[in-house]
Amino acid sequence: MVRISIDIGGTFTDLVAETAERMASAKVLTSSEAPEVAALEGMARLLEELSLTPADVTGIVHGTTLATNALIERRGARTALVTTKGFRDVLEMRHEKRFDQYALDIRMPEPLVPRPLRFGVTERVTAEGAVLAAPDPAELDALCDQLQAEGVEAVAIGFLHAYKRPDHERQVAEHLRARLGPEVTLCLSAEVAGEIREYERFSTVCANAYVRPLMARYLGRMLDALSVQGFNGSFLMMLSDGSLTSVDQAMRFPIRLVEGGPAGGVALAAHVARQIGSQKTLSLDIGGTTAKICFIEGGTPKTSRRFEIARAWRDTKGSGLPVRVPTVELVEIGAGGGSIARIDTLGRLKAGPQSAGSTPGPAAYDRGGDAATITDAHIVTGNIDPEGFAGGVITLRPERAKAALTRDIQAPLELPAPEPAAAGVIELADETMANAARVHGVELGLDVASFDLLVSGGGGGLHGARIADKLGIRRIIVPQDAGVGSAVGFLRSPVAFERALSVVTLLEDADLSALADRVTEILTEVRGIVGEVAGPEGLEARVTAELRYQGQGLEVALDLPLDGAERPDFDGLEARFLQRYAEVAGFTLREIPVELVSISVAVREPDRAAPAPLGRPEPKPRRNAPREVFDLAAKGPISYDVVARPALNGCTLKGPVVVVEPQTTTLVRPGWTVRRADQGHLVMERGAP
Amino acid sequence: MTDAFDIVAQNVLWNRLVSVCEEQANALMRAAFGAIVREAGDLSAGVFNAEGQMLAQAVTGTPGHVNTMAASVRAMLDQVPPEGLKPGDALVTNDPWLGAGHVFDFVVVTPAWRDGRIVGYLASTSHIVDVGGRGWSAEAGSVFEEGVTFPPMHLRRGRAVNEEFLAIVTANSRVPHEARGDILSLLSCNDTGVRRLLALMEEYALADLASVSDFIFERSAEGTRQALLRAPEGTYENTIELDGYDAPIRLRARMTVAEGRIEVDLAGSSPAVGRGINCPLTYSAAYAAFGIRALLTPEIPNNAASLAAIRVSAPPGLVVSAERPSPVTARHVIGQALPDLMLGCLEQALPGEVLAESSGALWTMSLSGAGETEFTSLNVALGGMGARPGTDGLSTTAFPSGVGAVPVEAAEVAAPLLYHSKEFAPDTGGAGQYRGGLGQEIVIGSRIDEPLSLSAAAFERLSSGPAGRAGGAPGARGAARITDGTTITDKGIYRIPAGARLVLRTPGGGGFGDPAKREKSAVARDLAHGLISEETAETIYQGTDKGRQRP
Repeated sequence: MVRISIDIGGTFTDLVAETAERMASAKVLTSSEAPEVAALEGMARLLEELSLTPADVTGIVHGTTLATNALIERRGARTALVTTKGFRDVLEMRHEKRFDQYALDIRMPEPLVPRPLRFGVTERVTAEGAVLAAPDPAELDALCDQLQAEGVEAVAIGFLHAYKRPDHERQVAEHLRARLGPEVTLCLSAEVAGEIREYERFSTVCANAYVRPLMARYLGRMLDALSVQGFNGSFLMMLSDGSLTSVDQAMRFPIRLVEGGPAGGVALAAHVARQIGSQKTLSLDIGGTTAKICFIEGGTPKTSRRFEIARAWRDTKGSGLPVRVPTVELVEIGAGGGSIARIDTLGRLKAGPQSAGSTPGPAAYDRGGDAATITDAHIVTGNIDPEGFAGGVITLRPERAKAALTRDIQAPLELPAPEPAAAGVIELADETMANAARVHGVELGLDVASFDLLVSGGGGGLHGARIADKLGIRRIIVPQDAGVGSAVGFLRSPVAFERALSVVTLLEDADLSALADRVTEILTEVRGIVGEVAGPEGLEARVTAELRYQGQGLEVALDLPLDGAERPDFDGLEARFLQRYAEVAGFTLREIPVELVSISVAVREPDRAAPAPLGRPEPKPRRNAPREVFDLAAKGPISYDVVARPALNGCTLKGPVVVVEPQTTTLVRPGWTVRRADQGHLVMERGAP
Repeated sequence: MTDAFDIVAQNVLWNRLVSVCEEQANALMRAAFGAIVREAGDLSAGVFNAEGQMLAQAVTGTPGHVNTMAASVRAMLDQVPPEGLKPGDALVTNDPWLGAGHVFDFVVVTPAWRDGRIVGYLASTSHIVDVGGRGWSAEAGSVFEEGVTFPPMHLRRGRAVNEEFLAIVTANSRVPHEARGDILSLLSCNDTGVRRLLALMEEYALADLASVSDFIFERSAEGTRQALLRAPEGTYENTIELDGYDAPIRLRARMTVAEGRIEVDLAGSSPAVGRGINCPLTYSAAYAAFGIRALLTPEIPNNAASLAAIRVSAPPGLVVSAERPSPVTARHVIGQALPDLMLGCLEQALPGEVLAESSGALWTMSLSGAGETEFTSLNVALGGMGARPGTDGLSTTAFPSGVGAVPVEAAEVAAPLLYHSKEFAPDTGGAGQYRGGLGQEIVIGSRIDEPLSLSAAAFERLSSGPAGRAGGAPGARGAARITDGTTITDKGIYRIPAGARLVLRTPGGGGFGDPAKREKSAVARDLAHGLISEETAETIYQGTDKGRQRP
């Protein structure tokens, strides 16, 4: 068995090949105009290294940011929106709300479909699903003429209350299909995101239509090229929710691909959590520009159907385009290695969100960057050894880091030395990340202290212990070889698919029998989608109901058990809602009816067998010379033992210890122990003997 | 102060305090009943020190709550002295003159105890859907008709919730269970805030909040002073005329900028009126300060020190400083005009740097069933924001309020209404080098063919549109009518007969700069998008390039 993953990002394309015996990886520059070109080159290189041919490859898993970039750079198709007459500005009015209270100069992003290409047609369905006005064929004929005259390549169809009754969208699509032919892409809001709230649904269907022609062409070229080379294995796409799907599905709903890359990173974290047996895992990936947080429960990442792409105003929440598709629930924080530390106009110490990234990078890189960054702070405190940084790829100049910290932080704060200034910067970055995790945990109704912390990325091991202290977390996992990231995650992801159904009916009024039928029907459909790729055997189905008190926004998600006939069981749902509500809100309410908001249906293939351990044969244990690390709480330097990661095998060490390896450094602070688990992952525990 | 640990601790504390409030506010928003409250974020949360001075506040929420709450904690403690409080106690009030300006807004204050003494307070405010009286309209002749007022009292004593208080609330509310739920949410979110605050003090081994208070206040006061110094010293005056309930109302301000402080005197504004659009001074001051701060000190967080640099005063008994028992339900009609009043003063200090006037007060659409089916529904119809120096105004977006509209689908699920249309209204944005934001036309009727009752209490700017600046034209004035031939001219109650529809056109924002200087490509685009008419393009903007090339 030979499996290959291809992760096409904006700058780099990462590839990983895995056989029963070994794993190899490659990194090439992305060829933006025709991304398949660089990907195929990289694949050829990998196969050569393994002495294999494309015909030997049994499966390819692919993730790409192509759709995301097309949305950000506005390189998608000429798209029209056909909507209910009287509502063509829904897409541009957005939430009719400023996303920043105090900024008077904010701008909203241009809608993907400009006003002249938004067409209202006669039709109307009520909130109950009754038809008030049906589409008029003569009007649709005239519309088709206009669409043709405008040279439209894609048409999004979005009608009010189509989540309740999609008939009109289907009728209009049929009419348009017959007149416009197969070359014009048609997307229906009820299919792409069948949920209540017209702006989000229309935004999602427009984004899908906007990128679909481009993605279909690209994937067509990719598959053609692969088949020419003799590849005839399976080809799967990485979805935003960390699962895999077929190319056909990906071509229909390319909007579901947008967060595939980051989802791969989370998929890897989820995989490691399953290996270690961690039931509750907080994944924290600290990269060069940002840190990303995701909660994982039972080895499954938290997903949501609220996501925003292409934020147009200083990366502010609310300034992008909302899409309602299943997405791993990542919180991104402007605190990575390249984040800039500064004193603001109020004399406050700040770390991020501005970043020097990797170019010009931290001051110590000496690549034109002059600002004091978090990486510089780590160098000044002694957390990072300037020798052999990043496997020796980058030569650090510690004196530049010290100068930057002295000038930007120490002097303005009138501190006695640069080391406490640097330690302060790190403490603030730790605080920012811990705070984001805490706030996100509260939003999800989770007790963060009961989670394990799984850290990855270049900075994960440096920050983990202090962040865990702040969150009350007692166990930290530092995965082996986390550096290869998303592409490996692709290979650990299950084939899965999810579909949501808006209900919005009081529980006491709901026709639960009819609803159960509908859920079973959707389940069969979703099973079909997954089964086609993964085979029908052993598929795991999960049906989740979202409930709330009528009139409230606080929604609670509960799993619905399925009986032998695949029908969901609604028994005791209200009692379960009340119990969960009390856990989240601290009280329950009287005499307010409970509303069933939506039901989501997800099917996934069973866990793939764990691959061969990533561990490598270890050299003889050895200890390096101890290192002095400045500690803020101790108000001075502490001496840390230095140990190479492989040297940890079979023993448990007490902090203070620094564990070093080529790509990263792990700081085992006083009060923590560290050992190396079977799969090669480091496990740190607080207060353990 | 040269100890790094202290400095970092202070910074962490400040960040975390703001985050504690944000968390509180978000939890409240999700738990709030009534779609409009949720969408609006018509709520706030803050942390106060042991003296009742505000240290930090959530930036979500509307300025009316944000800035009034700073004063309300101290005011409540003056009436219920902290010496008498015991651990677990929490206080509540909805007094318009202590809280956020009308009886709908409940403020809950919970002390945080550490080692047997009060180290700080958590406070939160939220709009409760109904507390009796005449409901949401401007019809009351006095505050006594607007619902039940609760002076500061215990919401909880120790561990026992004051069920007698809650019983009075529920006995007087048209939506008793929701009202109870909203008040319990305030209590619960304060409790969470208290726990967060104490955990933070534990982590940094703080006995009290004194030194972090000093740190926050010193830095905020200095930052505010520096930012206010940017406005040249002097005295500036401005007047705005509003429709009023059924007769025009004048708002007048005299602003003195000196030594990094701003004093505003609202003397000369119209006297309070007999209907519920009067504004208590706390709420007027809150919006006035917001307008000034959004322009001059947008980066500085809200706290006692940053707000102290701006003082707003008025002789008692005016429409901007109404006294008990003046009715105040729709006080936002006046309050939300104050930022434009302030910006008009600052325009004289900083010519060319100030945005044009916006549509102002939120048009609250308070519709209820007047036939067999009982229901009430609240949504907002939003107008255009004024053009900014360098950018067009935002269309159909409230300013100064932070409220958004309830989606049509959600509104129709919540009430038996039918929206027939909701689209931009062309030619409503004030012409200018930068165009004012557009208003919209909304057509609504009953879905069940029954009559409706409408409160027009907040349909403001029906007689004149928001002014332009620097040569920009005013935005279009609003219009409201019923298809049975009725034109809405005052802020009373209107009946929409079965089969008839309500047609609203919200005001557009004022324009900025000479329309003749508008980029021709922008004019051409507005024309192509149907945002302006051919006639406007030709006469006011003197054509697009394309137009000029025509023989």
